[in-house]
Amino acid sequence: MEVEDCMSSGGEEDYYCSDRDSLDDALENEDSDSQWAPPKGSSSKVITKESLLAAQREDLRRVMELLSLREHHARTLLIHYRWDVEKIFAVLVEKGKDRLFKEAGLPMLHSHDLDPSVSTCTTMCDICMEDLPSSEQTKMDCGHCFCNNCWTEHFIVKINEGQSKRIRCMAHKCYAICDESIIRNLVGKRHPDLVEKFDRFLLESYIEDNKMVKWCPSTPHCGNAIRVEEDEFCEVECSCGNQFCFSCLCEAHSPCSCAMWALWTKKCKDESETVNWITVHTKPCPKCHKPVEKNGGCNLVSCICGQAFCWLCGGATGRDHTWSNITGHSCGRYKEDREKKSERAKRDLYRYMHYHNRYKAHTDSFKQESRLKETIKEKVRILEEKDSRLRDFSWVTNGLYRLFRSRRALSYSYPFAFYMFGEELFKDEMTKEDMEIKQHLFEDQQQQLETNVEKLSKFIEEPFDQYPEDRIMEIRMQVINLSVITDTLCKKMYECIETDLLGSLQFGIHNIAPYYSKGIEKATELSITFHANSCNNDKRQKLHAPITTNGGTSEESDRPSGSGSSEESGFSAQKRARKDGHGRGMFDLNLPADV
Amino acid sequence: MVDFSRVQKELQECNRDINVSGISVNPKSDNLTNLIGTIPGPIGTPYEGGTFKIDINLPDGYPFEPPKMKFATKVWHPNISSQSGAICLDILKDQWSPALTLKTALLSIQALLSAPEPDDPQDAVVAQQYLKDYQTFASTARYWTESFAKTSSLGVEEKVQKLVEMGFPEGLVRSTLEVVGGDENMALEKLCSG
Repeated sequence: MEVEDCMSSGGEEDYYCSDRDSLDDALENEDSDSQWAPPKGSSSKVITKESLLAAQREDLRRVMELLSLREHHARTLLIHYRWDVEKIFAVLVEKGKDRLFKEAGLPMLHSHDLDPSVSTCTTMCDICMEDLPSSEQTKMDCGHCFCNNCWTEHFIVKINEGQSKRIRCMAHKCYAICDESIIRNLVGKRHPDLVEKFDRFLLESYIEDNKMVKWCPSTPHCGNAIRVEEDEFCEVECSCGNQFCFSCLCEAHSPCSCAMWALWTKKCKDESETVNWITVHTKPCPKCHKPVEKNGGCNLVSCICGQAFCWLCGGATGRDHTWSNITGHSCGRYKEDREKKSERAKRDLYRYMHYHNRYKAHTDSFKQESRLKETIKEKVRILEEKDSRLRDFSWVTNGLYRLFRSRRALSYSYPFAFYMFGEELFKDEMTKEDMEIKQHLFEDQQQQLETNVEKLSKFIEEPFDQYPEDRIMEIRMQVINLSVITDTLCKKMYECIETDLLGSLQFGIHNIAPYYSKGIEKATELSITFHANSCNNDKRQKLHAPITTNGGTSEESDRPSGSGSSEESGFSAQKRARKDGHGRGMFDLNLPADV
Repeated sequence: MVDFSRVQKELQECNRDINVSGISVNPKSDNLTNLIGTIPGPIGTPYEGGTFKIDINLPDGYPFEPPKMKFATKVWHPNISSQSGAICLDILKDQWSPALTLKTALLSIQALLSAPEPDDPQDAVVAQQYLKDYQTFASTARYWTESFAKTSSLGVEEKVQKLVEMGFPEGLVRSTLEVVGGDENMALEKLCSG
């Protein structure tokens, strides 16, 4: 009975009547949607502890290839420029290689002589002032040479200071960043645990110093980070299930902007309007300090505790009074602005309450509907057991997800409207008339969405598993139809917000995450395997790299370096003879994260 | 642990050419972590003629961490606290390098005495005075040098005493001494000329 009511009464005006064709389209759409997979071309990635190194490979490789650098130099450069490869390219074009390197503390690879003949005589280390054989000394890329003990001590102090990402040479006024493989090697001989710490700092720089990568804000922390491509204004779901706004790391809140959301949560938290109302409408009793509201009569007010006080000044008084004065008491006169202030506060409060109630109602509905998931599963199970010609029940789950999705959008659209059309943020951005027109436009769409969301909710909550088949078919049609409609309406509302409302503002600090029909994008696990095309790159490199010998020597990390050709293209042969040759050349990129 | 063998060598090195640089570093006690450095006031500055003592404290990580230094002698300078003697100098903080030594640090402090940086002040009062009224600054600095950094000559009180005995009023004596930077003869000359 209920179903028929609903269909006959609301059907025509509030949602689009479906003819057979569009319903078929809808059916097809829904079929293809049935997996609820992330949108095509899902670009955000989950970076786990294991894939952290792999995640950096691409950036490292691009920089290494462009500038013919070894990996640790590329990393130094990337850390300095906050993993913004485009920025590095821009600086390179604008200021040239020398400036690019200098600013990042990269030693000028061509400016100092690399004397391959290691002298055997002893020299004094300028730090400890001991005479030591050169075998116990290490020369950094910048050309400064000190003894291994002093280097080690220096590295330990810096790592413990939390400076791992930028350990500078010990020489005064030398801004060169030390070679990470040398650091690893020397520190490892004394404190292997510190090397671990050092490596973690270097690795995590990719997250800490990178605006496109952020830690998942889950508590307790899942240990993952999320990387997005191109647009940092988006909402993502981590593999731990936590959904959040990438930009501000709060819960996903579109179509509210981050700034609006921050204001809104603060407002809700301290209930500032209530506080406002209390300050304007009540006065604390001078005796018990409870807020007292004057409900009429003269200016002598008596508190519930029995204390009498003057409403005008708040001071305690005796009880004897006439209509116009209190015996033995006189204070300031009636003030007009007080009245105005109270009116204003009242209006603001009512306005806030209106939006907050709507927001709250939808959030509550959302919570209740979340519980539907289980009951819906049950219903589908019952239906599937029945022997009927209906076999596919994906419309039920699809409808439910559509309901979740649009309910969310709807509830966050209220705080958005509160700020969009309030006086707090955009008062000076548009005229009152302009604002009114826009408000009507928006509210119109919001209303349409609201009506359809409620209908969808109603149908989904029907105990349709108990219904005869023909009524189930009807409900099915309604659910599918309403799913398409709410999706379209959500899309339209976001469009309206993005282009007509926020898009017309002069100060573009309000960005919102785009709407995806399929819901918040699920970040996919980053695969650790090496791509085929990058292997090709290596081959190509090998082809035009000059024939060289592998220069790695005792100071070297013992990683397999694959071949000696990884870094050559820009260097002259003599440079390869240096001690700290091929530590973590390009081919290390092929290795899984083993640090 | 402080690298004592390096400190030992630094002391020897530094005290070897004490006649040239005038800079010396000596242990305060048996223990090599507390030292006293002395620097002569640079010539041509209000600090000329003074000998400034600097308290040096070596942290465990020395020379990989910077030594802690502050003036033990009171000094009037924009980058040195007139109250505590704390020094505002980058190489004693983040620009420290293990390749620097106590002597180079003291040389830098000496250089700071000749070239104050009032835009990055430690003592705001002094810095303000330096910028707004250099003359007063210079005479105050000279007076402080005279009063606190010269151990060999007479103390201020003795000079005052001497001049008062010559028959000048004490208030005038004190202000005149301050104006000429504590120089007894100049003060006498000035007092006599009226």
